[in-house]
Amino acid sequence: MPELPQALEDLVQELSRLPGVGPKTAQRLAFHILRADRQRADALARAIGDLKARIGYCERCFNIAEGPLCAICESGRRSTEQICVVESPMDVIAIERTAEYQGLYHVLHGVLSPVDLVGPEEIHVPELVRRVTEGGVEEVIVATDADIEGETTAVYIYRALTPTGVKITRPAHGLPVGGDLEYADELTLARALSGRRAF
Amino acid sequence: MRLLRLELRNFRNYRHLDHDLGGHLNLFLGANGQGKTNLLESIALLALSASPRARRETELLGPLAAEARVLGRVESEGRIREIRIDLREEAGRGRKRIEVDGVNRRAVDLPGLARAVLFWPEDLNLVKAGPEHRRRFLNQMLVQVEPGHARLISRYARVLEQRNHLLKQIAAGETGIETLAAWDEELVAVGSQIASSRRAAVAELAPLAGRHHQAIAAGEELAIGYLGPPDDFAGGVQKSRSLDVRRGVTGVGPHRDDLLLELGGRDARAYASQGQQRTLVVSLKLAEADLVAARTGEPPILLLDDVLSELDAERRGALLERVASAGQVVVTSAEAAPLPLELMHEARVNCIRAGALEPCG
Repeated sequence: MPELPQALEDLVQELSRLPGVGPKTAQRLAFHILRADRQRADALARAIGDLKARIGYCERCFNIAEGPLCAICESGRRSTEQICVVESPMDVIAIERTAEYQGLYHVLHGVLSPVDLVGPEEIHVPELVRRVTEGGVEEVIVATDADIEGETTAVYIYRALTPTGVKITRPAHGLPVGGDLEYADELTLARALSGRRAF
Repeated sequence: MRLLRLELRNFRNYRHLDHDLGGHLNLFLGANGQGKTNLLESIALLALSASPRARRETELLGPLAAEARVLGRVESEGRIREIRIDLREEAGRGRKRIEVDGVNRRAVDLPGLARAVLFWPEDLNLVKAGPEHRRRFLNQMLVQVEPGHARLISRYARVLEQRNHLLKQIAAGETGIETLAAWDEELVAVGSQIASSRRAAVAELAPLAGRHHQAIAAGEELAIGYLGPPDDFAGGVQKSRSLDVRRGVTGVGPHRDDLLLELGGRDARAYASQGQQRTLVVSLKLAEADLVAARTGEPPILLLDDVLSELDAERRGALLERVASAGQVVVTSAEAAPLPLELMHEARVNCIRAGALEPCG
């Protein structure tokens, strides 16, 4: 391949670092931006700059925030007795969309994974324990994923919080609504059965 | 359980194969190196979603090919399904895409749709080879009869990888011991499910294999047992901790399992003669086919790769009795007529040369 001009090459490089973007896609995107109006390209550059300048993480729960605290921690209408522990800010958005949950969050930004050198400090577990120890929390809902790392992280958090005496729960794993029993994978089905409840 | 049709594209030395199989006995003849084992391997791939012999999946791609395909149409309990496995190389690694009737499926969810028992010359070492070969024997059987077992094995491999990494980090003083208990708990949770599946399967297998062995070897007693994690698995893991940290590997769990094989009360792994070993393996394989049939209600496809010529008359007779009686069988051989005349008449015979089928003679 003939060498690209430096500016183009730089953009291709940066774009190909994004998740799900390979070298080919990166090149297509870069040429697309090159062809686009000056205004569009500036808007994109500005949006990326603003994102990093204006959005940080909540000091209390590590959710995305525009100030020192996130909108949820700042809101006076949320119950402070419940903390829901999730792996990522995207999980917060998913749970918020249900409008079922009125408590606060604690965002881990990851799970325990020795393979990736991630331990409890990297995922803000000490801060969670501190929040619970400070009092006022009745229940911690550990909503990490059901994969190996998510399960182990849940077990670790359960063990770390047990001395505080707080109630610790894990969301029920079950069948998707509207899902066909026949097509559920065996593990989901087994969990749904073992977590069954009386009518 | 029957394989109705097999299509191969750029799979090992098969550039293009479309073949309709017979419902009972299929015989493929050919000299060594023509593709007999490759053909059975492709069927095993449909059954297990992984090749039982390739170390890297890129080995399965034909020479200079970037993509390969294995397609099988299988019939089970009157229902016909089409399993398609597309393989390609991406950045030096093999990638698989699996579809069943046009719907994408994860590799861990494929086993069980096309059930097969593979018996090939490598199995003749099953008795004296390392315990990992006997664990693989159990795995290959269980993933086909227990839905979810393949997923369980892959989850267990993941816990083990994570825990072993952690052990090394603890030994190097890079991290503390405080998360180890959580990994132990997960190891025991997943590992004990595998252990209980294996324990039940071996208990079922033992009398079946014992009966076959007695029939072939004039009354010789075969006993099979499951050597699994200790009854107090969690306690065992905890006791092993400091040793685990020192060695950097997990010492207790189903990844260390083995099969106890005893002939007349003596450990076959240490004492069995060449002939006894072969009888034992034939008995185990026949018992595996029995178990699959009993659990699923249908005999599995029996894949016999050039093993008949390796066996003497009596063992061959026991195997052929099964070949003649049950379900679909695919046999390969380098001999011109490996089967007795009456079976040769029943068989659909094909000759393999350089990755292609041609009329024999």
